[in-house]
Amino acid sequence: MGLAQNLIFGLVTGSYIAIAAIGFTLIYGIVNMINFAYGEYLTIGAFIGLLAGGALPLPLPVAVLVAMVGGGVASILLAKLFFTPINHTGPIPMLLTSIGLGLVLRNAIRLFAGRSARYYDTETTTWQFQNVPDLAVGPVDLLGGFFVTSQQLVVVGCALGVFVVLHTVLTRTDVGIAMRAMSDDEALARVRGIDTQFIRNSVWVLAGMLAGLSGVLLGIQTNVSVSTGFSQILQILSAAILGGAGSPYGAIAGAYVIGVALALSTAFLPSSMTGISSAIAFAILVVVLLVKPSGIAGAEVREA
Amino acid sequence: MVGNSDRVVDRRTFLKISGAGSIAATAGCLGLGGGGGGGAITVGQPAAQTGQWDFLQPGVSKATDVAIQRINDAGGPLGRELDLERSDTSVNPQQARTVVTQLTENEDAVALLGLFSSELEPLYEFLQEQETPVVTPWPGSNFLDTRGGDHGTPEDVSDDEWIWRTVISDTVHTAGAALRALEDGHDTIGIINGTTSGARSWVNGFRSAYEANGGTVAEQVEVAQGESNYQSALDRLFQAEFSAFAVSLPLEDAITLMSDWSDGGYGRQPVLSDPLSQNELATQVGSDLNGAWAASPGESGPNYGTFESAYNSAEGDADINAWTPPAWDATMVTALAIERAGEATPEAIEQNLGPVSRGPGTEVASFAEGKEALDNGDEIKYMGAATPVTFTQFGNVVGSVVINEVQNGAFTQVETIPAEDLREFVPEGEY
Repeated sequence: MGLAQNLIFGLVTGSYIAIAAIGFTLIYGIVNMINFAYGEYLTIGAFIGLLAGGALPLPLPVAVLVAMVGGGVASILLAKLFFTPINHTGPIPMLLTSIGLGLVLRNAIRLFAGRSARYYDTETTTWQFQNVPDLAVGPVDLLGGFFVTSQQLVVVGCALGVFVVLHTVLTRTDVGIAMRAMSDDEALARVRGIDTQFIRNSVWVLAGMLAGLSGVLLGIQTNVSVSTGFSQILQILSAAILGGAGSPYGAIAGAYVIGVALALSTAFLPSSMTGISSAIAFAILVVVLLVKPSGIAGAEVREA
Repeated sequence: MVGNSDRVVDRRTFLKISGAGSIAATAGCLGLGGGGGGGAITVGQPAAQTGQWDFLQPGVSKATDVAIQRINDAGGPLGRELDLERSDTSVNPQQARTVVTQLTENEDAVALLGLFSSELEPLYEFLQEQETPVVTPWPGSNFLDTRGGDHGTPEDVSDDEWIWRTVISDTVHTAGAALRALEDGHDTIGIINGTTSGARSWVNGFRSAYEANGGTVAEQVEVAQGESNYQSALDRLFQAEFSAFAVSLPLEDAITLMSDWSDGGYGRQPVLSDPLSQNELATQVGSDLNGAWAASPGESGPNYGTFESAYNSAEGDADINAWTPPAWDATMVTALAIERAGEATPEAIEQNLGPVSRGPGTEVASFAEGKEALDNGDEIKYMGAATPVTFTQFGNVVGSVVINEVQNGAFTQVETIPAEDLREFVPEGEY
């Protein structure tokens, strides 16, 4: 195995990042703020999914939907409480508020749930994949051979599903078209009669739902703990900025660049440097931004 | 090595100059706590109530609490009650520094019964300045192999390094793991480890003993903690030729990594670091983990039974883990040091930890026995639960290693490697 296998690993990692990065970048594009508390939204979604799937217990696909709805509700509530009242103050106070909110949420979660990691029930997660053929594919004689597991396919499938739905919403619905208009010029959008507050609320809900989905997927892959989302926030932020802050399509591209960079750096760096592969991936981010400060697709998408 | 004689003004001198020492002493005489008076004696316990090792703390807390209860039931050291102040460090060095300061300055703790490797290493100089004995059940780090203890001169504290541990070093039990791997015919091995000081310490000890005995490390891959998956790292590791691979990571990351290993169908023999001897790992990874094993500090103390019966008869359902008996030993040996010293001050405790543990003297299994012997004018030798607690000059102990293997989804003790077989890895004067 080699290049092909690591590209697949990178695509899987990129899929985890992409789902969350879309939500993160939508908030930036429409609300005009960097929400550092977004990692905690993932954690909230992961815990809701765990509660729904474990305590109630609902089948995992239903628990995922519950987590998405819960994430959306949590997101809009937190926005109403903390961000909407200071929306007029500009990006810096909003940024600082989000950092503070993240700390409050993280410690509140720790207070109620403890620090110990929890795990999705193995049988439940097996149920999720029982109708998917277990693809112990490979090694296939292609670029050195590779294997794929059904769980990896589900994660990539979820990401693709999100992309299709997002694209449909942005290009085929009034709300989506209004979002794009607001992202380009909020004042002009308001003059044209768009209810900008409604669009903001819609973005908060959508971003929360994506955080819920991403949190559950991360929880299944790793564990559910107070740091589930926080440990991912730098990768999410990097993907969004790399793609061109405010551009959902760019965030997708940025997420896959980060995911593949992480996989390849682990695979091909000297052994003594593999423990800092994340830093190498972010070095790529810096290099790309030096060459193209607007990110991969920021400006282009807005002109589309 | 840091001595205490070359500082111009240390903390205690400053306190005396500022008058705070007099106030503290007065408070003690009035029965307001502190070590020098006639009230309760306070010992502190920096604890991992949160953080990556929090799952191990309940057993350690219970062992400490039960030991304190037994000590007080026997009349307490110097006929005074022994109080415990426990405070969470999250296994975070900065928080640990604050906790240590709070326990020694505000709570007047005369000894500390905690601190992990990852806290002790960065705080080592700071702890020397505190001049309060740290008797800890946690740290395996080989950093402490030649640091700590009283240098074999209990009466002279000027060369003391104030840190003692009642658990065997990584050097010892990783040697046990290396020996077992080689005995099983694994003469070439791969290693995957995290970047924490604990994870690296385990690997350094294991690798050193493994290679010293003829083994070859085919590949070593370091990974960061908190990743969403470790597939690329595993793919890289398993491109090398070896029959077994060693894993040293915090539990949560190890569960992610070993689940990825299981999903990838990589196979081969896993050798786990001692903190991974947890049924949670076996439960989450599933049947592929059957046959994996870990070498852990053993229960080779001559009085393990005394500890176990006391522990099991007390309330609480915390499981016994490898650090639970050492916590019992740390509490007992500290209380006996106070009793022998005749006074409850940090310096007096420091001067008596060696004498009550090294012998010669009447061998005692508990504080009650020790108090009785000391009252009779005899010297004592505490014989512990985890090890015989014979502190070396660097404040270390030697004991056996047990092999815990995953069988039918749970860790089961399958073998004990006697301490004598591991002595060659800890040469006299270097441990």
